[in-house]
Amino acid sequence: MKKSLSSAVLSASLLAPGLAFADCGDVTITEMGWASNEVVTGVAQFLMEQGYGCDVSVVPSDTVPAVTSVAENGEPDIVTELWLNSAGEAYLRLEEQGRVERLGRVLDPGGIEGWWIPSYLAEEHPELTTIEGIMANPELVDFQFNNCPDGWGCRVVSDNLIRALNLEDADIEIFNHGSGETLASSMASASQNNEPWFGYYWGPTVPMGKYEMTRVDLGDYDTAIHTRNQTQNADNPGVSDFPAATVLTSVTTEFKEREPEVAEMLSLMTFRTSDMSDILAWMDDNNASGQEATVYFLTEYRDDWSGWVSDAARERLVNLLN
Amino acid sequence: MSSYQSLFSGLGLDEWCASGQNDGPMSMADLLARTSGTQASDASWWEMPFPSLNALHDACGAIPRSRDLTLGLEQGFLAVKDLLSLVLDPLTQPLSWLLDGALYAMTTSPWWLTIMLLMLVVFGVTRSFKLVALVAVSLGLLAFIDHYDHAMQTLAIILVCAFICVLLGVPIGIAMSRSNTLQRYTTPVLDMLQTLPPFVYLIPLIFLFSVTESKLYGIAIILYAIVPVIRLTNLGIRLVDPDVIEAADAFGMTPRQKLFKVQIPLALPNIMAGVNQTIMMSLAMVVIASLVSAPGLGVLVLRGIRNLELGVGLVSGLGIVILAVILDRVTKASLARINTAERQ
Repeated sequence: MKKSLSSAVLSASLLAPGLAFADCGDVTITEMGWASNEVVTGVAQFLMEQGYGCDVSVVPSDTVPAVTSVAENGEPDIVTELWLNSAGEAYLRLEEQGRVERLGRVLDPGGIEGWWIPSYLAEEHPELTTIEGIMANPELVDFQFNNCPDGWGCRVVSDNLIRALNLEDADIEIFNHGSGETLASSMASASQNNEPWFGYYWGPTVPMGKYEMTRVDLGDYDTAIHTRNQTQNADNPGVSDFPAATVLTSVTTEFKEREPEVAEMLSLMTFRTSDMSDILAWMDDNNASGQEATVYFLTEYRDDWSGWVSDAARERLVNLLN
Repeated sequence: MSSYQSLFSGLGLDEWCASGQNDGPMSMADLLARTSGTQASDASWWEMPFPSLNALHDACGAIPRSRDLTLGLEQGFLAVKDLLSLVLDPLTQPLSWLLDGALYAMTTSPWWLTIMLLMLVVFGVTRSFKLVALVAVSLGLLAFIDHYDHAMQTLAIILVCAFICVLLGVPIGIAMSRSNTLQRYTTPVLDMLQTLPPFVYLIPLIFLFSVTESKLYGIAIILYAIVPVIRLTNLGIRLVDPDVIEAADAFGMTPRQKLFKVQIPLALPNIMAGVNQTIMMSLAMVVIASLVSAPGLGVLVLRGIRNLELGVGLVSGLGIVILAVILDRVTKASLARINTAERQ
């Protein structure tokens, strides 16, 4: 809140003379708790405020609460970096009812999910890059699989995969983490000490940008099997790798009608997954905040975002583009 | 943006400042200034920022920013981390064994045996058939709605942690009651443990110990729950009537006899009240401990929150309440039994 207030005050004081804005009213946008979303929301907020003259308020939220809030109250207007696999059926139902509309993928090709080992481990023991290799040599991964916390979409899939693979019979103990934080810190401390680690993770995230990880090959991706694996305690779980996760920007239908121009910009707003990883790695190297990473993106990736905005907005942001 | 530049120039420190120049990432304020095409002019005295590290850094590069301060703290902690965990790791290892053992025993032994044993224990400490029936019905209810395993995991964790709290807390409380100096130094630590949000001391714990070890949540629970038993042991012994102590002195009791034959028995009601509070507080930590991978009902509460599965959250929350009621009744009843025994 403080952040948006101070930037609102700043923009109000800086934009006083000569700039007539198209009429754009109050806009609410979510900010999820993770690093890449701070950048996505920050960039969207900046472009909407400076390019379109919107009055943006940022709502700290999380995937499921945001979707529920849209369903119950029709607010916030914009939900960005919505991971479709964790938003689940509640979101699809809203789409069917015509209350929200997906504008486009905010990450291209999307989020990467999977089971990983650190790259130094993969170099030392190349056989560990396939799941068969890991199950044949459980001692090389310390007899442990780091599983997702309860209540995450990936937990259901991983649990089914574990049963389909009979991972526990291969002497690999399943450790169910209590939160994303402990999952990340187990990976971080193993990587810092060059110790073995094997578990689920996803990107683009700060740990993924910071530590070199190698994806464990679980075989091919099979749509039917993966869909089946997404039900808790599926009857006949199969083995299928994770597909690229669809990560969306979504707005309420009402907002799209009210602000077609802004919606147009949001539908073009797409970050390359590799770029996002680079930004997150930069953020960690420089000990930077999400806001500073936003500024970094806006100054370093001008060609990207200048294509997203309308001509009128580009005019207003011309000082930044030259 | 460098409101304090003139100050450093005035002091003739320009050279020193320039020597430490390192540009941090561009800030949002700079970017906004660039967007509107205005140069950030010197702020008037009305808009003078507080001379914080960041504001001073803008004027003089040699002054560290506040992010350097947090970075320095982090590096300092990481530097002593290895040494600390070298000492603390083996010292706390028994806690992991105890927790793993208790969890294994509670979840693998057959349900009828566990419930029967628990009923026997309850009868042993309370001598009340009513309470035994309450325990049997409550556990039966939890088992009936398929929350038996989770409830037993929670119970195992609480019993181990409460046991260790008493094991460490009572001697600390006794030591505090015998030395005013120790009391003076321990009280602020206890105050801090009680007021510090548990999440804050989880951060260094996560750095110190492997997150896949059960002692991580064990320590978190113990640090939070040990306070009442220490406080009330200390208080109970200090409240023992001085006349009684005088009489004990008159009988020529040694300090050790005085402690074990007079002070502790007389302080027992207070100590038991402390034990009751300690158990209740470890129960309060169940959900937070689940964030650092403690199994049990807390996991279900978290799942309920994460997926907004209202039913799951409510039922498991109710399970925690049921456990709380049982533990509270049982410890209160044994406390009452001690009280009546004392009066006779």
